[in-house]
Formats: sequence, structure tokens, C-alpha cells
Amino acid sequence: MKPWTRIRRSALVARTVARLWLIYKVPVYTRRLLGRPALKGPELDPTHERAAKVVLATALAMRGVIIKSCQFIATRSDVFPPAFIEELKQLHDAVPAKPFAVVKETIEQELGRPIPEVFAALDEQPVAAASLAQVHLGRLHDGREVAVKVQYPDIEEIIQLDIRNMKRACRVYERFEPQPLPLMPLLNEMTKHIGFELDFLREADSADRVRELFKDDDGVKVPEIHREWSTRRVLVMEKVGGMKITDAAALKAAGIDPADVVQDLMAVWVRMIMGAGFFQADPHPGNLFVTKDRQLVLLDFGLSKELPEGFGLGIFELMFSMMTRSEAAMIRAFQELGFRTKTGDTSHFVQIARRMLDRSETGRFEGEFTEEMTDEMFDAVREDPLVAIPSDFVLVGRSFGMLSGIAHTLGARANVLQAMGGG
Amino acid sequence: MTSHAEPSLTFSEDELLGSRKYDEPLIAGGVRCHGGFDEDGRYHSPRTLHRTPAISAWQDQLLRSGHDVIEISRALMPPQYPNVEQAKLLLRHGVRDPMVRSLTIISIVEGFGAVIRDVRVPELAELIVEPIDGTALSHLRHGLFEAHARDEAGYEDEGGHKQMWEAARDLALEHPKIPGDVLMRLMGRRSRAPKRERPFPQLDEKLERMLAMMAQVLVIEVFAEGTFQWGIDVLSDPEVSAEPQAAGDMVRYIQSDESPHVEYLRTALSEVRARTLRTVDGKQIAGCKVVDGLLHDMLHNLTRNRPREQREDVRESMIAAMQDVANPTSLEEEYESLASAWTAPAQTGFEPSSAA
Repeated sequence: MKPWTRIRRSALVARTVARLWLIYKVPVYTRRLLGRPALKGPELDPTHERAAKVVLATALAMRGVIIKSCQFIATRSDVFPPAFIEELKQLHDAVPAKPFAVVKETIEQELGRPIPEVFAALDEQPVAAASLAQVHLGRLHDGREVAVKVQYPDIEEIIQLDIRNMKRACRVYERFEPQPLPLMPLLNEMTKHIGFELDFLREADSADRVRELFKDDDGVKVPEIHREWSTRRVLVMEKVGGMKITDAAALKAAGIDPADVVQDLMAVWVRMIMGAGFFQADPHPGNLFVTKDRQLVLLDFGLSKELPEGFGLGIFELMFSMMTRSEAAMIRAFQELGFRTKTGDTSHFVQIARRMLDRSETGRFEGEFTEEMTDEMFDAVREDPLVAIPSDFVLVGRSFGMLSGIAHTLGARANVLQAMGGG
Repeated sequence: MTSHAEPSLTFSEDELLGSRKYDEPLIAGGVRCHGGFDEDGRYHSPRTLHRTPAISAWQDQLLRSGHDVIEISRALMPPQYPNVEQAKLLLRHGVRDPMVRSLTIISIVEGFGAVIRDVRVPELAELIVEPIDGTALSHLRHGLFEAHARDEAGYEDEGGHKQMWEAARDLALEHPKIPGDVLMRLMGRRSRAPKRERPFPQLDEKLERMLAMMAQVLVIEVFAEGTFQWGIDVLSDPEVSAEPQAAGDMVRYIQSDESPHVEYLRTALSEVRARTLRTVDGKQIAGCKVVDGLLHDMLHNLTRNRPREQREDVRESMIAAMQDVANPTSLEEEYESLASAWTAPAQTGFEPSSAA
């Protein structure tokens, strides 16, 4: 990495931190001087919105790990205000692609030979671009169609630098903020996840593991990985087409009932989460397709998660306690899943569950974690700093919330208990 | 309860959910469960104070009007796998995981029973030609489904059958570690949900779905009688159970609680069977044709391939679990020698031809 790049990136982070400080602190000091009370709760929404826009602009300018961090923030509604979640979730789809010349060098370097020796054809226009890599379609010499995921050059180095800068900024923030958000543990967790995502061979292993789980199920398709052409930074996989899972009109035109697709989708995720304890933790519509013969295509295993033993049973017990409104069982289930309160007062768990139930359509838990319910849970946790939420649960809750969103788009319901065979 | 000279046929939801006063509550595994004991130490099921006489009164009314109450032949009930002797053999040899897994799965399946409260009940009076006042049918969403749900899964901080099965397991097998694959086993083999074909598309969809659900639950409840006996026989054996009396009793309590479920379901389905249903195109269809059709399909599916498939799935895990003992081959041979042969009867008793 050029020294100038290093200086520029560090300066951008420093400038962003300074701007955020001004956005949050100037009104505090001004109001104090004027003898007015500090802004609280929803009064702070416009401030959060301004701050989120600054962060978004920095992410788009710097790309790399900053985009990744913002995507991560957008998944942690248990910690960050809704304005941040709304603003930063744009980054899931809106990452500008790099020119082909940039990725060509990576492919040739990684495969140790010129592109024409491996690919009979490779589209210069990417079909998708994300924070760490972009995807091009191509064809091998034996005629097999492939999708080639290529990591951006220097991304590892950039990430290391950005993480160092972010940790510095974090330390400054924690030093000067009297009640800081717990950013450093999140940053450490994110660093771990990014490390996993940068290793495409690990992603290939995760894909293989999920494919193996569904090997007897012709309703699930996980693209084959062409190991001979895959490295830590280039992933060559089978090209699999299909209709976008949320395209209800296309599904109906193909004679597929969207309700059946939702049932399949839920059965697959419930099997991964509750049964196998290993799951693809990013089921957004861009990663899911349906073929004409109703096969569910699963893509992108970069964010895959191994759950602790017994976690699936713990989730089931939590759902069960909510279904029966058993407060003692709710407390037990929350504790077994790793939720903690700083004071040891377990009534917070019951409050969380009650708030979730109040947001369900019927006021009862019938087996569906809707987005509204999971959002309510994260709100409850964020508003009550005494409660710590295990990161595994955040990913599971977020995944069920995303699946519920897809189900609602298709006019159906994503019932977890039904997918387990209980309805 | 409304007072009449004749036995009452109309009950409020609170009455159907009402329990007698107990001298001593049932505590299972440290959890206060439903039901309790009278001063003689006899167990009384929950929510039966009015529910049991109500069901009897509805059945009597049906019989008096010249109709039968549905009976599902116990010969259709597939044997439990592993059977009692096989389960005891494994436990005697220290192979506990399959039993722990089975008992945990039973407890979870019992808990799933709570979903019956979410069944959408249509306006039955509009869909059934004859009146339904004073029948089990008219009480489905006014106490019967709710009582069933609470019995199975518990309600608020009072445990139900789920917690009672867990207690029986923990008493007999001394709080065993739950195998990590229990939910995977519960879900079984996954395959694409088949394209849904409605058996009676001429019916209101909600009504058809409700009747199908009731037929399915009735069959499961009847078949569960075999599971209860199996549980009692295994868990009451002092050779393999740490607390034979308490563990066996726990299953006996569950068994007695289940009786009202079978009875109200067979009563309500028999009431439909004795009536005429309106179709969505303004025509009519005999209730017996619908109920018998649903029961026949259900019994046919549950007795033909399912027992064999389930047996194969479970057997695989049994054999795997046996590999940790000193002489797995000999244990496997003995285990197989204890197998029960079973062939499904040719008739379900609800064949379409018999549904006039």
C-alpha cells in the first residue's frame, strides 16, 4: 500500500470521528449553556440520522473494511439506533464495482497463469459487487458455466490499517464518552468475522458443509466449488440461475406457489439452525433464488456460523416458553442461551419477551419471529443497557427476521414451529 | 354451568377450563405441573371438572339421535420402536442416548400440541346445514382447543405434558445429557413439501383444514396409547430405572390426562359425520363422506410406509449407539432377535366405499 493511501485513509477516519464528535457534542454543550435539558430518546433521532449519513459517506469513499463495518452495524439493531440501521443497510446492495483490470491481476496472480488458460470466457462486467469482492460470470474450457468471486487487491492490508484506525477512534470515544456504547467488543467480533470472510477456502468449506447437509434433498441447491481453481482470494463455483426469491410474479408464472417456497425456505433454515447448529447467516433476498422446478438455491457462505451445542434446543425452549407464556421458562431459556443482566435481575428477560409478544399480530407467539418482533427485542435490549445479548442469538434472530421479511413479501408466514414439524 | 333438568349441553369457556380443587399439587422435576391429588392421594387430571361430564353429555346426545361415535381400531396402531424389551436391553447395557432421545422427542411433540389453539375455526353454523347448538363442535373455540393446548404444553407457570415427560425421563435416567442431534432426529429426513392437493376442494378451505387437523390429532392421540404403555413398562422397571415408581406414575398421569382429548375429538368429528356440510358452490356434501375420507387417508398413510421409514431412521441411530459397548455385534444380534413383527391391517375401517 502506498504511504499516501495510508495517510489518506487515516485522515478520513480522523475527520469522520471529529465530525461525529461535533454532531453529538455541540448540541449538548449548547443546551447546557442555555440551561436546557439534554436531548433524549426519539429527540435524538435527527442527530443520529445526520451522524449516520456522515458514516455512510465515509464508507462509500473508503470502501473495504469500513463498508464491512457499516454492514455489520446495520445488523446490530440491539446496539445502534434505528437511524443508523436504516441508513447503513443501503450498503448491502449499493457497493460500486471495481474496473476489470483491477480484478484481472488478482485472478492471474492467484491462479498463477493468464486468464485465457483457465477460462474460455470471462465477462468483464461484474454481476455483483460487495465490500470485499466482486463476482464475474465465465466459462471453463470444458464448457462448464461458472461464477468467479474475486477479492479486491490490497484488501487485507487496507483492512488491517482501517481496523487499527477504528480501534484508535474507539479508544478516544470510550475515553471521552461518559456512557459509551460497547464498541470495542463489537469491533473485535467483527474483526474475527472479516478474517473468516477474507478466506474464500473457508467459505468453500462452509458451502460444502451445507451441501452435505442437504445431499439427499433435491429441493436444495448449493453451487459446487471448483476447488482446482479456487484459492484464498478467488472462488470459482458452479453458475446456478433462478428467479429471485422475492419475485412472486415470476414464481407464480412458473406455476410455483410462493407459500410453498416459504415453507421450503423455513424448513431449510430451521434445519441448519435448530438441527445442525451450523448455518448461512445472511439469508437476504440477493443470496436466494428459486429454479423452475422449485429448487431453492443458496449462495454466499462467507458469513456462516457454528452455534454452540444445545443452542437449537435453547431457541426451541425460548419459543416454547413464549408460546405458553411461562415466565419461569422464559427466564431459564434466556439464561441458557447466554443472556445476562449486570445486576442479576431476571425480570428484564420477561419484559423483553412481553414486548416481543405485544408486537406479534395476535399478541401471542404462534411460531413466527416477525421482523417487528425481533426489532422490538433489539430495541428492548438497546434501551436497557443492563441486558447483554449473545452474538450468536443476534445472528439467529436477524436471520429469522430476514426470512420473515421474505415470507411477508411473498404473502405467507415464516413459522419456525411449523417448519420443525409442529403445525 | 347453566342448570337444567336434562344434563347441560352448553358450557362457558371458563367452565371447560375449570379444574377441581386439589389437596396436593403435582410437582414434576421441580416444576409445578397441572393436575393434582385428592385427600386419598388419587391423581385428578386438570380442566376436567366440567369437561368430562360435558363430553359424556354430547356423546349421549349423539347416540340417542341414532348416530355412532367414531372408533379407531387399535389394531392399526404400529408398535413402538424400539419395543419395550429392546429398550430395556439397551439400557441394561448402558446404551442410554437412544432412550433419552426418544423421551425428549416425545416431550417436544407433546409440547407441539399447543398449536391446536391456533387452528382457525370458521363460522360452523354457516357451513353446517343442521344446528350445532349444544354440541362439542360449538365448543371447539370456546374452551376445548384451549384446554387441549394447555394440557399438552402447560400454561403460564404450570407445566403440562412436555414438562411431565421431561420429568419422567430425568427421574428414570437421572438427568441425562440430551444428545445434540435431538432436534435433527425430530425433523427426520427433509424433502420438499409436496404440492398441496386439497382432498375436498368443494369445502370452505378453513373448514377442510380444521377437520383435517382434528382427524390427524385424533389418530396421533389414539396411537399415543401405545407410547404411554411403552413408557410405563420401560420406566417402571427397577432394573433400568432409577425411580421406577415415580417415573412410571408420571407417564400414568399423562395417560389419564389424554383421555378427554381422544373423547372430544371423536365426539366432534362424529357430530360432523352425522351432519351435512355446505360447499362453496352452494351444494351439499354428507359429513360422513368428508370425515371418513380424511380419516381413511390419514390412517392409510400412517400405517403403510411411515412406520417402516421411521423404524429405519431410528434403527440407524440405535446401531450407531451400540458401537460403544464391549461386544457390539452380540448386542446387535440380541437386539434384533427381540424385534416385534407387525403388518398393517388391510382395512382402515373408513374406506371410501363405507362412507355412504
